[in-house]
Amino acid sequence: MALHALNTTHRASGNILASLGRPFLSAGRFLSELGRLFRDTAVAIARGRFSGAAVIKQAYEIGNRSVPFIAITLGVLGLISVYQVATQVAQIIPDFSMIGAAFIQMMVREFAPTITGLMVATRVGSGIAAEIGSMVVTEQVDALRMCNADPVEYLVAPRTIASAVMVVMLTAVGVVFATFAGMLVGKGAFGIPYNTFLSLQLTGIGDVAIGVTKALSYGIAIPVIASQAGLATTGGSAGVGWAATSAVVNTSFAVIVIDFVISALAFLVH
Amino acid sequence: MSIADWTVAPVGRATNYVLETVGGASMILWRIMRALVPPRFDGHETWRQLDRVGVRSAPIVIVTALFVGAIMVIQTAFYVNKTGATSLLGYGVGFTVFAEIGPILIGLMFSGRVGANNTAELGTMVVTEQVDALRALAIDPMRYLVVPRFIAMMLMLTLLMVLGDLFAIIGAAATAQGLIGLDWRVLIANLIESHLLDELTMGIVKAACFGVSISCISCYFGLSVSGGAAGVGRATNNSVVANATAIFLIDFLVGWLYTL
Amino acid sequence: MIRFIDIHKRFGSHVVLDGVSLDVDQGEVFYIVGMSGAGKSVLVKHLIGLIRPDKGQILLDKWDVTWLSEAELYSVRKSCAMVFQNSTLFDAMTVVDNVALPIRKHLKLSAGDVRDMALAKLDLVGMRKAADQMPAELGDGLKKRVAIARALTLDPRYVIFDEPTTGLDPLAAAQVDDLIRTLKAQAGVTSIVVSHDLRSIFSVADRIAMLYQGKVRIDGTPDEIRASEDPVVRQFFSGDPDGPMETT
Repeated sequence: MALHALNTTHRASGNILASLGRPFLSAGRFLSELGRLFRDTAVAIARGRFSGAAVIKQAYEIGNRSVPFIAITLGVLGLISVYQVATQVAQIIPDFSMIGAAFIQMMVREFAPTITGLMVATRVGSGIAAEIGSMVVTEQVDALRMCNADPVEYLVAPRTIASAVMVVMLTAVGVVFATFAGMLVGKGAFGIPYNTFLSLQLTGIGDVAIGVTKALSYGIAIPVIASQAGLATTGGSAGVGWAATSAVVNTSFAVIVIDFVISALAFLVH
Repeated sequence: MSIADWTVAPVGRATNYVLETVGGASMILWRIMRALVPPRFDGHETWRQLDRVGVRSAPIVIVTALFVGAIMVIQTAFYVNKTGATSLLGYGVGFTVFAEIGPILIGLMFSGRVGANNTAELGTMVVTEQVDALRALAIDPMRYLVVPRFIAMMLMLTLLMVLGDLFAIIGAAATAQGLIGLDWRVLIANLIESHLLDELTMGIVKAACFGVSISCISCYFGLSVSGGAAGVGRATNNSVVANATAIFLIDFLVGWLYTL
Repeated sequence: MIRFIDIHKRFGSHVVLDGVSLDVDQGEVFYIVGMSGAGKSVLVKHLIGLIRPDKGQILLDKWDVTWLSEAELYSVRKSCAMVFQNSTLFDAMTVVDNVALPIRKHLKLSAGDVRDMALAKLDLVGMRKAADQMPAELGDGLKKRVAIARALTLDPRYVIFDEPTTGLDPLAAAQVDDLIRTLKAQAGVTSIVVSHDLRSIFSVADRIAMLYQGKVRIDGTPDEIRASEDPVVRQFFSGDPDGPMETT
């Protein structure tokens, strides 16, 4: 049904005001439902009402199983960045000594958390939405409620905790892989010695704090938003597909917005 | 479980999976090419897809671009302040947005919005036998479903990249003015002086390539769904992961080719 | 006419068809019956090349359909249409556009003529009023009628109906039966109907074949079936849960 509703572009030809207002109304409703889920999740976690085993399982699912994906994407990002920047620098001032230091700093404070966040949003966001969505469609979530198990405590809370921790760790992994790849390209294509590249000179505790804050925020936002999409699924296989899609879009967008907010705050504070 | 089960088997499985995906998506690309020369595909459907793909993704691309421009200004400003080279702000922002971050982020957003939706839609059609119904009506699903989406995605992503670049600059200028205190006119002037035409075109070429990869990969995963609602969900998940990986790899490839 | 010659088909380790041979004559209404999962849908999908057999041959008129390529099958599919179990209308377009799609793709007519022809087909099934609605707005019985209209657009000589009355209320089911009879009487269409709706079977069929455990258990006219002494046949057609039939 949802897919059908999206396919009809001009059927409801109301007046301009209504069609302008409608997206705001539905956005408002969406945000308030999301807010409620955040609050319920926070309460569930604070009360300790979740299963440790479930957290471990989710941590494995979210963290360990994303490592290859993160390794490849951030490794390639490292390759690209160093290659492009070094090429540019070579044309302007052929001094490569700071490239490594600047690269590592940028990775830690901006690119590693955000790209890792986007990758997790993509893989885990759609995965959670698809998983919970099919549970909704096959009435397993209703069955949970009948057994007096709260879906938020049972499904959402473990994933949130696991994700918060794992995204931070995945970000660290990402920094390592990106730096490693960048270092190889630096030496291989531009002759930058490994020691020169691996310079933590520019990377301060502030950068690490920013990176960790971003990663933590992404880690918390992604599973809640994705679970929201999953729990709101209606309409069979079309609905599940749509839930996965909207989860990817919403979580990715959330990552970018959070990135902006934290970056702006960090800038203003400096 | 033996040692081999732990070490060799997962690598073998992963390799299989990668080869299957690359092979499957390539097959789709090949069949699309065959259906384009000579061009025999459903024009009506193509129009419909252009509308859906383009119109539906424009808002998210625009808003993403605004934020991307803003973020890049903040990050670049940090360095510029340190080194005092404020005139490099326009260059730094323009370079990163046009050539790298813009294409990657817009590509990722597009892959999420359009790619996932496409896989979900085609997957649902497979599961509800609509694809078989098309074949039973002697209508080629490749010409009717896949090629229109391919054309729509390639065209639209290229156009949206241009649109995205524009709005990224707007976001950058607004942030420069509001947050950093740099007059937006100075930023724009800087940008124009930086002669970033090469970077701009590279970004657009990347967008076209992403359009090809996103459409082929998302159609491949959509058409090979099995297993009901859960299968559609899984396929959508796998599709976005594969698309994201492809985006990074293509980004690297195009970037490297450009420097040759 | 149609001939299934010694069809074998398995999915993984599950043997679905184990040497099925059937003949269908021109103008017949031929019912293929059996329990769920007995292979009825699998068998008829061989006719239009949606499934290929592991062994055996399928002949449709002058064509040996068994290993024709997709491109070659298009001519076959214009002569032999299929109405799917779940109606499978295209969600993204209106009822009349659903029916008009094959017309648009295969006949060179103007847009107006295409729509007129589609409306005429909808008339045949009594669905003209719903022409501009979306499939999601219709109930199952109505969707089934539209699916039938769509199958009839190219005036096929054979129509396969995959469980046409399953899930329909008795009135809607009777209307579908009526339509099948009318097709035979007025257009000489050969109908192959997959079903386990006993009431429809005995009121419409010229001949009935029952699949059981991958083989043809019995193949004959309704009278011959009713007179059968085979305990499995008797159990199935009486709908008795107790008996020699293995249900898993």
